[in-house]
Amino acid sequence: MRSLLLRRAALLVAVLLAVTFLAFGAMNTLGDPLFNIVGPLSEIDCDAVARGEAEATSSALDGNRTDCEILAGVRADYRLDEPLLKRYVLWLGDAARGDFGTSFQSEGVPVSEILTDKLPVSIKLMVYAEVLALALAIPLGVYGAYRANRRADRVLSVVSMAALAMPSFALGVVLLYVFGLKMGLFPSSYDSSSVWSELRSLFLPALTLGSGLAAGYQRLLRTDLVTTLQEDFVHMAKAKGMTDRHILFRHALRPSLFSVVTVFGIQTGALIGGSLVVEQIYLIPGVGRELVAAVARDDFPVVLAGVVMIATAFVVINFAVDLLYGWLDPRVRTQ
Amino acid sequence: MTADVDVVETTLGRAFWIGVGWLGFLAFLALFASWLPIGDPHEIAAGGPREGPSFGHIFGTDALGRDVFARTIFGARISLVVGFLAVLFGMVVGGGLGIAAGYFRGVTDQIISFSFFTLLSFPGLVLALLITALIDRNQLTVSLTLGILSIAPVGRLARANTIVFAEREFVQAARVLGADSTRIITKEILPNVMIPMAALALLGMGIAIVAEGSLAFLGLSVEGDAVSWGKSIVDGSQARDLEQNPNVALFPIFVMFLTVLALNYAGDRVREYFDVRETAF
Repeated sequence: MRSLLLRRAALLVAVLLAVTFLAFGAMNTLGDPLFNIVGPLSEIDCDAVARGEAEATSSALDGNRTDCEILAGVRADYRLDEPLLKRYVLWLGDAARGDFGTSFQSEGVPVSEILTDKLPVSIKLMVYAEVLALALAIPLGVYGAYRANRRADRVLSVVSMAALAMPSFALGVVLLYVFGLKMGLFPSSYDSSSVWSELRSLFLPALTLGSGLAAGYQRLLRTDLVTTLQEDFVHMAKAKGMTDRHILFRHALRPSLFSVVTVFGIQTGALIGGSLVVEQIYLIPGVGRELVAAVARDDFPVVLAGVVMIATAFVVINFAVDLLYGWLDPRVRTQ
Repeated sequence: MTADVDVVETTLGRAFWIGVGWLGFLAFLALFASWLPIGDPHEIAAGGPREGPSFGHIFGTDALGRDVFARTIFGARISLVVGFLAVLFGMVVGGGLGIAAGYFRGVTDQIISFSFFTLLSFPGLVLALLITALIDRNQLTVSLTLGILSIAPVGRLARANTIVFAEREFVQAARVLGADSTRIITKEILPNVMIPMAALALLGMGIAIVAEGSLAFLGLSVEGDAVSWGKSIVDGSQARDLEQNPNVALFPIFVMFLTVLALNYAGDRVREYFDVRETAF
């Protein structure tokens, strides 16, 4: 167990390094890194200014310095003249301390502050979605296995197949149209004035995000539970006269949850991707919406920090799920 | 192997062929859209603004009076081509790397497997957002970006299957007869690994089509006035448009849903039909 943990930890570090390097590298090799930091200002030809062939300009950003002085400052701050690998190491050191630089466009507000402000809403949305997904999937999965290959199970199977084929943005638009706009049951935008109105306004977004998850969980749980129900201890319980409900939920459910736990980690990726889109549709002021807004205004420090934060969280969650899996199923530990 | 509870069917089934028929029909419409009486997707005021479905415009018109049916069919061009190119790219790169990793093992395998693992450590859409935000977005670059996302899943499948087949007698026989690695990979292993990859390709195409739509919602799909399903749906999904003019978003959503359903189902059936299991790790 100890050496397994160590190996996992080493892999975790390696993957985190690779992921951050990929994100940092993409930001610095695709397109002009100077443009990615300061936007159109980067197109000023400072060599020409220095030779006196062009006039030195200054923009509204900083009245006391010329644009070329600002550019030189940025070059120094972001170490743009250093080789990529060295810049990455220096950037990583800052990032590890939570310093992702300042947003160029929002008047020097620290990037980490912008993102952490938006984080709680996004996390609420995702937790809400997971809760709804499990609340739907566990009863329906158990019922599907209980009535395996009968009509109810076949109907559930068709419904879950359809739910998996429905992209989250499409479902979001349809739910917004039917329940938000036509029936007026739910508000069409985020409202955090009270706990109740927050729960209500996040219901459709969470359902949009959760339905695909629910369908996946339901199918897995049904399949695993059908297998578990053929085990001897289930026949034993039946012979002892226990009710079907007791057998299903008390005896058979827990050993059938392994696959659900495994995909829980993998599904987090889909959940994060889905929440980017769902936050757009329902106008929820979360990390996803901030990230998209940052892309639209070419505010790349925010984009890079957002991507790195999300990817790091995703990697850590997956490793935690791996460990949890080993803890749930003793056979994994000895491998 | 454990006993299977579900009866394994021996044909692909009627629903499979209905799905394939739908895909063929759609591909036909998209391919010959310019010569069929479909209309111009960009023509403003082809009908009155915000009309519901009618005989002249079976999907109605949008706020600018453009024909939604024409936009859906021309949108299929971009969406299907993006889906196809993305999967093709993933197949060639991911499949090639996966087979190399599974065949040569050792350090090659470790490096390639770690790369796959790293790619999978990004939530897919976040990686796509990062790349598309930094490049000029045309049909090819968006396809390639989505193709990058499919490298790791395809590669893992190819690797796992290659490991299984590399141990089989016919491969060892070829080796004993003096065939070199290139010949063994192309003549002995590739044909066998292609079948499970084909099943994944169908599923992957559905995922890529959905991913294009998601990128459209993030404002990161193909730039310019090119129409795709994602962009049409975004056009129609602002609260006011959706309330007054739901046909603009809902018809493309419906067509896209049927297409993804058909691809998912076909992929599932092909996989079951050939009964391929991902075994070796």
